[in-house]
Amino acid sequence: MLENPIMRPIAELSAQLRLGKLASIDLLDNALDRIAKLDPKLQSFVCLAEDARSQAAAADREIGQGRWRGPLHGVPVAVKDNCLTADMPSRAGTDAPGVHFPRQDSKVVTKLREAGAIIVGKTRMHEFAWGNVTPPSKNPWDLNRVPGGSSGGSGAVVAARIVPVAMGSDTGGSIRIPAALCGAVGLKPTFGRVSRSGIIPHSWSLDHAGPLSYTVADSAYALNAISGHDPRDPGSARTEVPDFAEALGQPITDLRVGICRNHMFGNNQPDVDAAIEGAIRFYRDAGARLVEFELPILAFGLGAIFAIELSSSTAYHSRNLASGAVTGFTNDVRTLIEMGRLVTGPDYLKAEQLRRVLIDDLAKIFVDVDVIIGPTCPLTAWPIGEWTVRVGAQDESVLAASWRLTYPWNLAGLPAISLPCGFDGDGLPIGLQLAGRPFDEMNLIRAADAYERGHGWKDMYPQV
Amino acid sequence: MDELEMLVEALGVELERERRAAVLAAFQPIAQEIAKLRSLDLTDVHPAVVFSPLPDNQQG
Repeated sequence: MLENPIMRPIAELSAQLRLGKLASIDLLDNALDRIAKLDPKLQSFVCLAEDARSQAAAADREIGQGRWRGPLHGVPVAVKDNCLTADMPSRAGTDAPGVHFPRQDSKVVTKLREAGAIIVGKTRMHEFAWGNVTPPSKNPWDLNRVPGGSSGGSGAVVAARIVPVAMGSDTGGSIRIPAALCGAVGLKPTFGRVSRSGIIPHSWSLDHAGPLSYTVADSAYALNAISGHDPRDPGSARTEVPDFAEALGQPITDLRVGICRNHMFGNNQPDVDAAIEGAIRFYRDAGARLVEFELPILAFGLGAIFAIELSSSTAYHSRNLASGAVTGFTNDVRTLIEMGRLVTGPDYLKAEQLRRVLIDDLAKIFVDVDVIIGPTCPLTAWPIGEWTVRVGAQDESVLAASWRLTYPWNLAGLPAISLPCGFDGDGLPIGLQLAGRPFDEMNLIRAADAYERGHGWKDMYPQV
Repeated sequence: MDELEMLVEALGVELERERRAAVLAAFQPIAQEIAKLRSLDLTDVHPAVVFSPLPDNQQG
């Protein structure tokens, strides 16, 4: 048997599980051993499933009887703490008294269980998904640095090779930012592709659910498992779900790669810009066509996402404001929830009008391009406790800088993926971001997988 | 009284006295971004969120 098989990607694991060369129970034990060894440093799990061993034993039994459910069958995965679970408590990252959530499975957890995945535990998140630091989780590449957020625990446990997939949620970058800062793959599907029912809301029209994983292929397998219409999510789309794995290993000579030269470039750390320019050259050399464009409306995007996110979050937490439960929230999250009352109705609706302009402008661009390339994050993982960093030519709040390149794809609801594309001078991972047309995750996965296969980044992991 | 203070008063937003200054200071840069948004003329653009008269169990 392989040493530390849990560190291998899903395609290898599932082949061995299916052939009986590897038992799910052994794979789970491997994951639990790594949790026991590494999580005291990473502090990225908040809860472990007591029934994980019985889940794994059931998977082994079924596979042994020839009832293999698919690539996730018998594979341990983790879920973010805002995904409700019947067998574990959900806290959405808060310790505040007087805040309770039901003990029932969210739709993504139900679908993961149906696919045969072993739900091993819940990962730490920034409180109510309102931040990108995720204390006290640590970045596995440097324990003095943040893992990003809000799905910071999911980013850390995947990057540390504890589980090949961990679920995240993404309202302004919360899957892709920790993926970039920790050196993992993070996939935010199109709005409506994956149900949010049973995921504790942050901002209804911006929230997306999706996987963080070792490889692009692992995210494709996870997306196959969790996609599909759900009438219990008002944003869920009635759209056909292709087999996303069919996008793997495909040529990209016909691919058209768009480069948005305003907003996405010109204000990033130099190592980040250099890595992305290298990725652009890879696509050019592989035969893809490069198309440069500008999107002036992005200059107004930050006000729009703040107006929507603040007012939505404050509306969701109105019960907690009224009851005084917010006094138990961390200070930064309480401040954001309290200030949402200062966003006016016209501001909110103007933000929704801006979204329409952005979506229509992007549709015109997607006539000539298949994916849009850029950095995921203008900076690499910053030291814990640091709130201002030098990005480009100026000092900037890390909170403002870190989501600048990710939130446009939440405003537009487009699919976007972050994957590792190198390291900065301090040995910290850099994330490459690709975005695609609505419901065109196939081209996104095709482009990301081609880049990943052309480089060795997926085989590099931190020595925690 | 500055513009944000007046907004708090006009909206009747209750904030603990000791938190008021911190919340308004944190909102200041966000208010500047929202002010940019206000400057756009989007009169003829329908918002992205569309009303539906169907009951909840017939949505989607």
